[in-house]
Amino acid sequence: MDYRFQYGVVWQNLDALFQGAWLTFQLGTLSFAGGALIGLICAAIVAYGPFLIRFPVHVYVVLITNTPALIQIYFLYYGLPEFGIRLSSEACLLIGLILNAGAYLTLIMRAGFLSVRRTELEAGVVLGMSVLQQIRFIVVPHIAKSIYPALANFFIVILVMGTSIGSIIGVDELTGQAINLSSVNYRWLEYFTVVALMYVVLTFVASIGLAALGRWACRVRARIF
Amino acid sequence: MDRLVEQIPRFFTATNMMMLAEAAYMTLAMTIVGCLIGFGLAFVLVYLRQTPGLWALPLRIVCVTYVEFFRRIPFLVIVYLVLFFIQALTPDASLFTIAVIAICLYSVAYTADIIRGGLESVPHTQVEAARTMNMSRFRTLIMVVLPQAWPVIIPPAIAFAVSFIKDTALVSQIGVFELTFRGKELNNQGYSGVLVFGTIALCYFILSFPLTLLGQHLEKRLATPRGQRSARKIRRT
Repeated sequence: MDYRFQYGVVWQNLDALFQGAWLTFQLGTLSFAGGALIGLICAAIVAYGPFLIRFPVHVYVVLITNTPALIQIYFLYYGLPEFGIRLSSEACLLIGLILNAGAYLTLIMRAGFLSVRRTELEAGVVLGMSVLQQIRFIVVPHIAKSIYPALANFFIVILVMGTSIGSIIGVDELTGQAINLSSVNYRWLEYFTVVALMYVVLTFVASIGLAALGRWACRVRARIF
Repeated sequence: MDRLVEQIPRFFTATNMMMLAEAAYMTLAMTIVGCLIGFGLAFVLVYLRQTPGLWALPLRIVCVTYVEFFRRIPFLVIVYLVLFFIQALTPDASLFTIAVIAICLYSVAYTADIIRGGLESVPHTQVEAARTMNMSRFRTLIMVVLPQAWPVIIPPAIAFAVSFIKDTALVSQIGVFELTFRGKELNNQGYSGVLVFGTIALCYFILSFPLTLLGQHLEKRLATPRGQRSARKIRRT
């Protein structure tokens, strides 16, 4: 193997990579937040809603969780223009990821909803709480505690796996920047090793932040490793 | 919209369908081979990680670092890294091999955690009992720990492999002839995006949905029988 690693070009373009990392972080956080909102609503519907609304939600979850995120985003990116809707690649990625995360988070949160004890809900009914109030004051504090580790894990997945899909449709996040830069001078291995390290650091920072947040807000001991 | 309807008879021809069937076979083959090898290697990794003693500390550190690194790097970046690394080593490696190696590297990291969780779910007293009976570490693993750990390991491992069918879509980027790549190709031939990617999504759904159901069924069947579970609870309290 006569390959010589030359990292010089990578250090020169490091700030472009940092910009990519920042965009990755923004996209990951936004799509997780959007997905969490959809997930919460859908999980509440699955747990308490009548059959007529429960069924479409169920179909949505099954359809999304059984097809690749890449195909969903391709569908938005290449399919929607045929109906006259043209979205930028960032918007496509973001909408695709939010829909995708929403389905997976519905599954995670449903498990949380089901783990709430019936007696607690009955106590809420006795106190005259409406369904929305029950969710706000009984269910959410409870599931925030019980599914926190699963949520933190999923955040890492969407931050890393999800956003890197953007590079395929031309979003300049971390992987996209690496592809752009390395196709100029073919130092693929150098760029991608550095980018891999940056992903590791980024997710570690995110994990530590999430663990601190979990300890402060929900008193969970989240594991970082 | 008219274009879409007009294209349907041209799209669903025997040649196109054969091509998609082959692509689906490729997707499935890649996932199964990669995840099976990954599962075997993950066992080795967990076994090495649990080696006791101070002399094995570097070994344990290497194993933990491997898992932590590869879980935190996107699969797409791993695919590119493997592609360029292997091509620097041996320029004529097939793309299928490269894809399988990338899937292996990634699935080892994920399944290692699943297996470790399974092995740790067995009460520690059992391992100590085996130690008292002078069983070696390997024998303890095979004869005491594994028979009890299987029900905990198998369902999430299958769930991981099934979810990986979808993640292999990213391998299309290096040009393996699998479903997503063929879909992109058909789209480039001028077929409507809604039609092509709808069909491809349907193919993935057909591959993944029955396997998901199978996984859920196994999970229910392998869960500890009721009597046993209550017995364990009583012992703990």
